[in-house]
Amino acid sequence: MTGVVTDTVIRCRDVRKTYGDVHAVDGVTFEVGRGEIFGLLGPNGAGKTTTVEMLEGLRSPDGGSLEVLGIDVAAHPDALKERIGVTLQTAELYPKLTIVEVLDLFRSFYRRSLPTEQLIDFLDLGERRNGRTKELSGGQRQRLAVALALVNDPEVVFLDEPTTGLDPAARRSLWDLVEKLKAQGKTILLTTHYMEEAEALCDRLAIMDHGKVIEMGTVGEVVSRRFKERAVQFDRIEGLEDARLAAMTAVSSVKHDDGVVLLYTADVPATISDLLAATETLGLEASNLTVRRATLEDVFLDLTGRALRD
Amino acid sequence: MQALLSLTVANIKSFVRDRQALFWTLAFPLIFIFLFGAIFSGGSNKTKIGWADADGTPASAALHQVFQAVPVVELVEGTKDELLAKFQHGDVAGLVVVDPGYGAAVAAAQAGQGAPAQVAVYTDPSQSTSAGAVIGLVSGVLAQANLGNRPPSIVPTLLNLKTQDLNAVSYLVPSILGMSLMQLGIFSAIPLVGDRQKLILKRLSATPLRRWQLIGSNIIMRLIVGIAQTIIIVGIGALVFNVKITGSLFAVAGLALLGAVTFISLGYVVASFAKTEDSANGMVSAIQFPLMFLSGTFFPIDVMPSALQGVARFLPLTYLSDAMRQVMVNGAAFAPLAVCVAVLAGWAVVCFGISARFFKWV
Repeated sequence: MTGVVTDTVIRCRDVRKTYGDVHAVDGVTFEVGRGEIFGLLGPNGAGKTTTVEMLEGLRSPDGGSLEVLGIDVAAHPDALKERIGVTLQTAELYPKLTIVEVLDLFRSFYRRSLPTEQLIDFLDLGERRNGRTKELSGGQRQRLAVALALVNDPEVVFLDEPTTGLDPAARRSLWDLVEKLKAQGKTILLTTHYMEEAEALCDRLAIMDHGKVIEMGTVGEVVSRRFKERAVQFDRIEGLEDARLAAMTAVSSVKHDDGVVLLYTADVPATISDLLAATETLGLEASNLTVRRATLEDVFLDLTGRALRD
Repeated sequence: MQALLSLTVANIKSFVRDRQALFWTLAFPLIFIFLFGAIFSGGSNKTKIGWADADGTPASAALHQVFQAVPVVELVEGTKDELLAKFQHGDVAGLVVVDPGYGAAVAAAQAGQGAPAQVAVYTDPSQSTSAGAVIGLVSGVLAQANLGNRPPSIVPTLLNLKTQDLNAVSYLVPSILGMSLMQLGIFSAIPLVGDRQKLILKRLSATPLRRWQLIGSNIIMRLIVGIAQTIIIVGIGALVFNVKITGSLFAVAGLALLGAVTFISLGYVVASFAKTEDSANGMVSAIQFPLMFLSGTFFPIDVMPSALQGVARFLPLTYLSDAMRQVMVNGAAFAPLAVCVAVLAGWAVVCFGISARFFKWV
């Protein structure tokens, strides 16, 4: 376990969930401390949503233990629901009601709730307050979903792919919102398959694939543990085989991502000079040649052999 | 309690703002009533009265002539038994029977000896308009026949007979009420499946809201709409089509609530097996149309082939519409009221049981 976690609010130990022959969640263990933004990162079908829904008390695990705010989730889901806030992947809710009506409806479910006006102000939904929810844009709808998750002023907020399908501006405004929640001291667990989202928001993250956690820690830790190297990338060149690329000076691995070749290397100048020599003998040129530090995207590609967005 | 109330209000708002739902539950049944009302209320203005002369004397022939002379009366002649059968089926609005010995009794009465001669008049009091018309016409005819005779030598003996066939609108209004409650109930499946498909049920499961509150608010909303439907349909029937409600309005309301609950339970069975809103729509149609046509909504069950009558015997709508006809317009019973109530309650218990077993929340 990376990082010292004090005052743990989410504790997930060897959790398993099986559907038929499919191990959707296969022995997942992690902890989240109070006030942290923790990310579950992985491609579709990695088991992120199933894990989160077990923590929310919406699904029961087949094995392992889940504890949120000191409450055994499997044993007392109703006690937990008063104290957590949740968004699901689809945020379609009561299309015929207005924002104010939906917020008031959700407030009636909880013993303790924030004033509707405060929620509307915080989420910046004022101008649409009396608009039917079906008339909202994707970003506004997602903000309403977050507002509904905050109705009971929860200590822990679960956000399942909060920015999937949003345009860049709406995504950025939702990130700001998540930062505001962190500033209020809330603990946030979010799932995402966007690298830049995890890099921008998460204090710590766990990378999941095929129901397992394959890497965990801060973004910096995860990247540097996997890569001391940098990435040299260029558009794929016909006739330049992987075997030849791998044999170049200081190259540790060769990856392909959507027509782009990635050479991970500890010695950038040596690798590039080998590359240029090779292209020259072919009478070709390496186009869009760039050098960059390794990112989470590289980690993911390295771990799974697939790009995260696939 | 607050959550239940808020959710019920939210459901009602969603329902009222859904024009399509409003149309199918409130306007559609009225279109049926107006359509069929217009079809059946057209045609001859003559009142059909059956005439059975078992006396066969000049005196009875004279009375026959007086009846024939009335322009708004169309006499249908036959034996008493034939005509009683026609009356039962609603082919004649009333029946005048001249029993043997009438001629002698008239002669005696005119001679000042003995009581006036009797003419039997059969009507069905549950059909107030046609019964009133028959009694009025017969009284007028007899008054004419009695002219100059003091005291009168002929008097009508009024006999009440409950017919199996009501006039079309009286038959139809309770049926349409039953049909609308059926639709109201079964259609509950569609938004429920939609809410599950759109993950609204899952989202609600992540709050402290209890499942009984969710289901309870749905049922309360439908019952409120059911009562609104009942008021509108009974009101239009009474005010526009002069359907006389013979029974207690509380009994009508009670039956409406029971019927709504029964068909809501059937809607939940659909919601338990339909995975998408579209498949729920298909299942609802597949259930509602056979129910509509096989349960005696538009015509009585006994005109159907016996195999289909056997099917109708199992359908809940048969019992709801039948009970409604009994309570609202004193219609002839297919099954006793208690049996109807028991069958509806039985369906509800079985359907809620199936739903409790198979309904999936997420």
